[in-house]
This record gives sequence, C-alpha cells and structure tokens, in this order.
Amino acid sequence: MNLLTMVDIERRKIHRSKIIWILMIPIVILWIPMIINADVNFNMQAEGILPEDNFLVQGFLGLSWFMFPASLVIGTVLLNQTERSGNGILKMLSLPISPAKLCMAKFIVLLLLAAVQMIAMVVCYYLSAAAASSLEDYSFTLGPSDVLGLAGSVYLASIPMAAVFWMIAVCIRTPVFSVGIGLATIVPSVLVMNTKVWFAYPMCYAFRVVTGQMHKLAAHMGDFPCDLLPWIPAAVIITLVCLAVSCNQLGKAERRG
Amino acid sequence: MSVSLEYGKLKRTGFYPAFVGGGLLAAAIPIANTALRQDVFTSVKESPFVVLMDANWQMMAMLNVFMIVIGACIVYHIEYADNALQKMEALPAKGESMFFSKCFVLAAASVFMIALETAALAFCVRCWFSPPEDFAAQLFSSMGFATALSVPAVILMMGISSACRNMWISLGIGVIGIFATVVIPPGSLILSMFPFTLPFQTFSGAGEGEAGELLLGALVEMAVFCAAELVYLRIRRNVQ
Amino acid sequence: MNMIETNKLTKTYGDFKAVAGINLHVRKGSVYGFLGPNGAGKSTTMKMFLGLTKQSKGTFTIDGKSYPQDRQAILREIGSFIEAPAFYGNLSGEENLHIIRKILSLPKSSVDDALELVGLTEHRKRLARKYSLGMKQRLGLAGALIGKPPILILDEPTNGLDPVGIHEIRTLIRNLPKQFDCTVLVSSHLLPEVELMADDVGIINHGRLLFEGSLADLKQDAVQKGYSHEHLEDTFLAMIDEDNQQRGRRR
Repeated sequence: MNLLTMVDIERRKIHRSKIIWILMIPIVILWIPMIINADVNFNMQAEGILPEDNFLVQGFLGLSWFMFPASLVIGTVLLNQTERSGNGILKMLSLPISPAKLCMAKFIVLLLLAAVQMIAMVVCYYLSAAAASSLEDYSFTLGPSDVLGLAGSVYLASIPMAAVFWMIAVCIRTPVFSVGIGLATIVPSVLVMNTKVWFAYPMCYAFRVVTGQMHKLAAHMGDFPCDLLPWIPAAVIITLVCLAVSCNQLGKAERRG
Repeated sequence: MSVSLEYGKLKRTGFYPAFVGGGLLAAAIPIANTALRQDVFTSVKESPFVVLMDANWQMMAMLNVFMIVIGACIVYHIEYADNALQKMEALPAKGESMFFSKCFVLAAASVFMIALETAALAFCVRCWFSPPEDFAAQLFSSMGFATALSVPAVILMMGISSACRNMWISLGIGVIGIFATVVIPPGSLILSMFPFTLPFQTFSGAGEGEAGELLLGALVEMAVFCAAELVYLRIRRNVQ
Repeated sequence: MNMIETNKLTKTYGDFKAVAGINLHVRKGSVYGFLGPNGAGKSTTMKMFLGLTKQSKGTFTIDGKSYPQDRQAILREIGSFIEAPAFYGNLSGEENLHIIRKILSLPKSSVDDALELVGLTEHRKRLARKYSLGMKQRLGLAGALIGKPPILILDEPTNGLDPVGIHEIRTLIRNLPKQFDCTVLVSSHLLPEVELMADDVGIINHGRLLFEGSLADLKQDAVQKGYSHEHLEDTFLAMIDEDNQQRGRRR
C-alpha cells in the first residue's frame, strides 16, 4: 500500500472529530482584537514600521508564539487518542502494513491539519485587513506575495517542531506527560529565541522567523537575522531524528505486551 | 470521604507527579531569573516582592493555568476511557458530589503548585534582597489572592472536561482559553475577569480597589459555573 | 411478591421503539431469565432500571420504590453489571472494588469476599487495563456482587468467558437466591443458558415482550402452539421467527 492511500485512511479516522473548529476558533479570536485595535498600528513611529506591515506581523506573532505550536500538540493528542481508544492500534498492527509507514502517514495528517490552520489564517487576515481598512479609512491589505511568503515560511519553520511533538506523543504514553511536556516546551521559546543556540530549539523557529520579518520591515529596530547556517542543517537533522525515533517506537508497547 | 476516593482514582495517571514537576518548574523560574540577572533586579527601588512578581508571574501563571487545563482533562479522561463513569452512575452516589470532589482535588493540586512558588519567591527575597518588614504579609496576601483567582478556571475547566468524552476536545477548548488570554489586550477590568485571565493578575498590580473587584468577580464566576454544572448534570440525566 | 414490576415501560429514540410497553414481573427470590436476540431491548430495559437512561413512557417499581424519586434508595439495593465491563484501567482490580465499596459504605472484608466469589483473588493486584477479557468480565461481576445486594441486574454476564468460566458463573447465579437471599434479573441471548439458571423467563423481540412465565409454562405454551418442545432452543427460535414474520406483514 502506498503512503498516499495510508494518509487518506488516517484522514478518514479523524472524520467527525470537530478538530476543524478547534483550529478555526483561535484564528477568529486572534483577529477580532486586531481589527478593533487597528488604530494602534499608526503609533509605530518609534519602530519605523508601516501600519499595514505591522498589522500583518502582529497577527502572525500572536499565532506563531503560542497557538500554532499548541494546535500541533492538540493534533498529536487527537491522532493518538483515536487510535488507542477502542484499541484500534492493535487492529492496525495486525494488518499487513509497516508501522513506520503508519507513523509517517499520521505525521503527514498532522502537517495537513497545520496547513489547514495556516490557510485559515491567511483567509482571516484578508477579511480582517479589509474590515480594518474600512474602519480606519486606510488600506491595510498587502499583496499576496508578502502574505503568502510569511505564511509559507512560518509553516515550513514549524515542521521540525511538529516532528518533536509527534515524537513526544508517540514515545510518552501517559497523556498527562506528553501533553504537559509539549505545552511546557512552548513557554520558554521566547527566552531561547534570543540566545545564540536558538537553532537547536525547534519550538522557537516559527516565532523567530516572524520576529526576523518584523525587524526587517521596521526601520529602527536593528537586525535580527535568521541565518540559514547552521539553522537549516540543524533543523533537518532534528526532524529526521525525531521521525526516525517515532517510526521506530509506534506500536512498540502494544507489540510487547 | 468522596474526596479521598477521587484522590485514589488518580493513581498511576501521572497527575500527582505532573503537578510536582510543574510546581518545581514554575518555582525554578524566579530563582533562575534572579540568579542570572541579579544586578538588574536588586537595583530597582520598588519592594522586592513586586519586582519579582512583575518579572516572573506571567510565566509562572501560564504554567499554573496549563496544569489546571491538563489536570482537568485527565481527571475526567479516566472516567470515560474504560467506561467507569457508567458504573459510577449505577451506584448510589451523586454525580454532583463526584464533580465537586474532583474540583477539590484539582484545586488542592494547584494550591500545592502555588505553595511551591511561594516558597521559591521567599527564597529569592531572602537570598538576594533585604526583606522589608511587612514581607511575610505581602507574600501571603499576594499568593492567597493568586489562589482565589485560580478557582474559577478550575471549576470551568472541570465542567468542560466533564462534558467531553474525548479528552482532546476539552484540551483544545482549554488551550484556546489560554490563547485568548494571550491575545486579550491588557488594561480592561472586564476583560481581565475572563476565567483563564484571572490567574495572571497580581495583587500588587491590581491595587486595593481593583483587587476587591477581581475577587468579587471570581466569586461570582465560581457561583455561576457551579450552578451551570448542576443544571448540566440534571439535563444529562434526563436526556440519556 | 414482585421485586421488579414494570407497567407499559417504553423507550423510544426518535421514531425507533427500543422498548415497546412491556410488563415484567420478577418474583422475589427468583432468578429471572431475560431472553432475546441482540438488539431486542434487553440492555435498554436494564439501563432504565438503573436510571442510566430515562423511560419515555410507563413506570416501574423496584422493591416498591419508583424512579426518579427514590433513585438513591433503588441503587443502594441493586448490584449491577451492564454491557461491556466498566472500570478504571489505571487501577488494580482490588482498587476498583475498593472505590465501589466506599461508595456503598461496606466493610473492608467485602472486597476480598467479592474477589473470592468470582475467582480473581490471585490477580487482585494487577492493573485492570492488563486483565484479559474474561478477567474484566469477572471484575465487573465482582462489582455487582460486592456487599451481597438484595437485587442483582446482570446483562449477559457470561459473555467472553471460557466454558469453565461460564459454568462457574452459571452455578454461582443459580445459587445466589439461596445463598444471599436475593433476586436476580439476568439477560442472555442463549436459551439453553437461561434454562440452566432461571426459574422464570421473559422473551423479548424488537422491544416487545412475547412471553413471560415459568419454564414449565414455556414448554406448555410451545406444545399448544405446535412448536417443538423437545429442545427449548427451537421453541425460542420459532417464537422469534414468527414474530419477525408478523412484523413483516404489519409493515
């Protein structure tokens, strides 16, 4: 069976799970105060950032520091719970498919869920920009290349983090701990981001990318570069290691006992 | 008696170790922060306690609320996972008393976390500052305030997880609640009454008058959430 | 005297009648076999007795008490075992029973008695999650028998047990009224099983009660209607078959 069919099967398993709502609601909660407080964007002379740029960047800062990582954690819980309640995992393991493939298929579904949330983010951005524009009588709407570029880079930067969360969820079977550790690693990402070894901590990549973009757009905020070296190699290695470990571990406990 | 039962049900779920771990982590924040940035902190004129709270409480409160959300999810997850709730409903015990006992266990666990944090703050002041005379009073009133303001979140989260058969839904709702506190712009009294935002407020930050209003708000929320749960339990019994 | 009595008890889900106005009479001190194919409404009826689901119409009394006014009092008298085993997977078998014991405020020794009764004593320290299907079933039974309640409601208690286990549990149920002076309502979809345990039988199909009476009555009834009475299983099958055909015609 090829991976694509497996992904489709995994996608079916979370049918009727209402996960879409959990992904959408925070996006709406995020943008409503942004629209109401749109006038704040005009008071950014100290930073030297254009109001429309600030509007976009602030929204993505809000998403990437907390909700996007947290959504990934929730996604891992969902994928694991559907399998473990009713012992579905035992059935899956008794079918002629490789556990590693199963694990990869689930990981891809996790990435698909994240993609859905990111697309919703972009759509909501345009709706809110339009609303803010008419409220403040000033065009907040930016071109698709700026918006999609930022959204795309945040998404790509989150993949290593998703791999880490997936590994945690697969390896730590006690739900309190897998969720707790997942969420707890998000909190210090703001601190780690400002250190020299930020590239070793995937949980801060997305936030770092947005912050870097903000510094680039703001005239008086100085430089905050995301150097591709050693970041990209580190990210690739972390991702591969995490996926290898989780593919190796999925279903191990069931097969043992 | 019911409380001790609920306490026993949580064995081997990782609930208690998680709260100990979370409490130690939260307690480590002010200690690490002060140890690393001693000069910045000690040079400020304000009361040492206020300085410490301003610098650390946001992150500590975040951990506290995280633990409340995760704890509440687990407490009802064990009821639903192997259908134990059905057995409980077929026994001559009240669903209401089970709910309140569970709330008590979760509230006690978060009080334990806050106690660890209090000890850490006291340790910081003793080590790096010269404690003012009314320090003990400040410390305890402030941490008591924090405890009181976490109770609405405890009851609300417990209500949510009692209604969700699937743990990840209650987790999702809880996380969205926490996220809302991150997005809500600070400053407005009404918005800081949001149950997940309340635990982030500090006694010194609120000032005398506002502190009273926040406490009153918390009290009203507790009453409302309890009443809502009672109604919910009654409806659930009737539509099953 | 009847321990459990229902009066036109009905449960509907939307336009589907799960239980359609049945009148049951369970005599005190008897074992009542509640018989019917899967999905006939046995579990739904038993769930109503326990207040796990609310009746749409009709009433029932248990030991002279009625639901919902006397919910607590009723539940205090009933030991129950419904559908799939319900337990806390993170606790051992003993700890699971301990919780039930506390709620019923029974003496400490009752846990050991119940474990002994279902033959789980040597596995009492093991986590319920790690029990085999048969052991989970036994744990569920222990939870029903603990404290020797005057009424027992058991829903297909021998499901998932091996032949030896089935025999043990049947013998246990058969002897319960004598041993503990209790009334037992036990459901099954196997007539031979009911034949071995029960004094009285109620046969239910598609929510309607087709027959109620003693086993002797059932045999007599079969003769009158021209069913085979050599093997009661055939009688049961013929009865269900005829009912299904009539339903087809009514439609």
